[in-house]
Amino acid sequence: MQPVISLKDIRVTLGQNFSLSVESLVLQPHRIYALTGPNGAGKSTLLRVMALLLSPQAGTIEFAEGDSRDLARQRQRVTLVEQTPYLFEGSVTDNLSFGLKLRGINSRERSERIRATLAIVGLEGFEQRRAKELSGGEVQRVALARALVLKPELLLLDEPTANIDSNSLQAYEALLRGLPEYGVTVVFSTHDPSQSRRLGEEVLRIEYGHLVNGAPRGPQDAVFNQRRSMYGA
Amino acid sequence: MGYWGDSLLTAFELILGFDREVRMAVWTSLYTSSCSIAIAALLGVPIGLWLGLNRFRGRQLLIALLNTLMALPTVVVGLLLFGLLSRQGPLGPLGLLFTPLAMIAGQTVLAAPIVANLVLAAVTGADQRIINTALTLGASRLQAAIQLLREIRFGVMAAVIAGFGRVIAEVGVAMMLGGNIRNSTRTMTTAIALETSKGEFAFGLALGIILLSVALIVNLFLNALQQR
Repeated sequence: MQPVISLKDIRVTLGQNFSLSVESLVLQPHRIYALTGPNGAGKSTLLRVMALLLSPQAGTIEFAEGDSRDLARQRQRVTLVEQTPYLFEGSVTDNLSFGLKLRGINSRERSERIRATLAIVGLEGFEQRRAKELSGGEVQRVALARALVLKPELLLLDEPTANIDSNSLQAYEALLRGLPEYGVTVVFSTHDPSQSRRLGEEVLRIEYGHLVNGAPRGPQDAVFNQRRSMYGA
Repeated sequence: MGYWGDSLLTAFELILGFDREVRMAVWTSLYTSSCSIAIAALLGVPIGLWLGLNRFRGRQLLIALLNTLMALPTVVVGLLLFGLLSRQGPLGPLGLLFTPLAMIAGQTVLAAPIVANLVLAAVTGADQRIINTALTLGASRLQAAIQLLREIRFGVMAAVIAGFGRVIAEVGVAMMLGGNIRNSTRTMTTAIALETSKGEFAFGLALGIILLSVALIVNLFLNALQQR
């Protein structure tokens, strides 16, 4: 099966103290990848590179159906949900309609897709709710719905559960686990090694700006266990 | 009733009686100010947006220039445009001097830097995630910038209203480029200056009351926008 995205020899330098380098990263369709690593390791930077928000100084990024020079069109294959997502002013429908309108989807199909997607994220009947009146967990789910409604090939989630309370965590994780069924490849970043084990079919570990590409579960767990013992856990 | 009392009474009679001179001055003021603010918005909003979204060499210099232009004395704008539009000036053959068009041009020069500067402030103060959110949802840079404008629309409207407040209250440009011609380029402010110097205090007072009312309405609207 053709990879969703391939990164090769990527190098990004931000300021004087941070650089990210990825020799090779190939993501297969309909899988969930957990991106782990300590704070400041480069997880968010890598997600932003994959979302085409940040241009690397060197390297190539290719999507499944060949290289297109139209950046906006390429961006439409991939969607990033930030750790603290921004919802546009207006209603939930206004937010979910934004990307659909850009893609020229007609009003009837927009309504259908919005209704179906809100059901997937457990927000049935939220169409007319004002974005400003939503709780933190609801904002997170609307942001996810806003990305999912676009049916992206690649969905990038930057620490999606960082601002979610423990009651909503299980439901959110169950939701993420089911996403490949809708034809989406998911990459989510997390600090939590147990979450990466629970959800990630493959774990990508990043340290000091270097990606340990597609590290198998064993060694990653070994690193985690070794650290846990160091801190007496 | 005394000087003030009599003048106020006459002023209200002129206003409520829809005095033709008063009406013409009010119309000329509103017409020239509205046209100039519309053009200033078309120029100032994109400039403010562009300066707010891009980082490039010389940006700070441009912002400093905009700040300076904001404080331009109206008579200096009048003087410079007079030099351009007078018969000996490069644009003299167009015959624009002492016409409403000349006043609109001058007032546009006054208002555009205000609009640009306040839009720049609104863009700088906006949530930094707006542009990236729009981009990740598939927008082009232009579409993302338009979405940003939607999100900061109240700031943009406040910028336009502030520009309108500046041009409707100015005298220098209207006097020097319009010439204060009766029923043509005489605005509320130039009429107040002229009529008061002629001793027609009540007439000036009538226009002053209307001008103050317009300023009050504009400011109430501005405050209402800033509360949102």
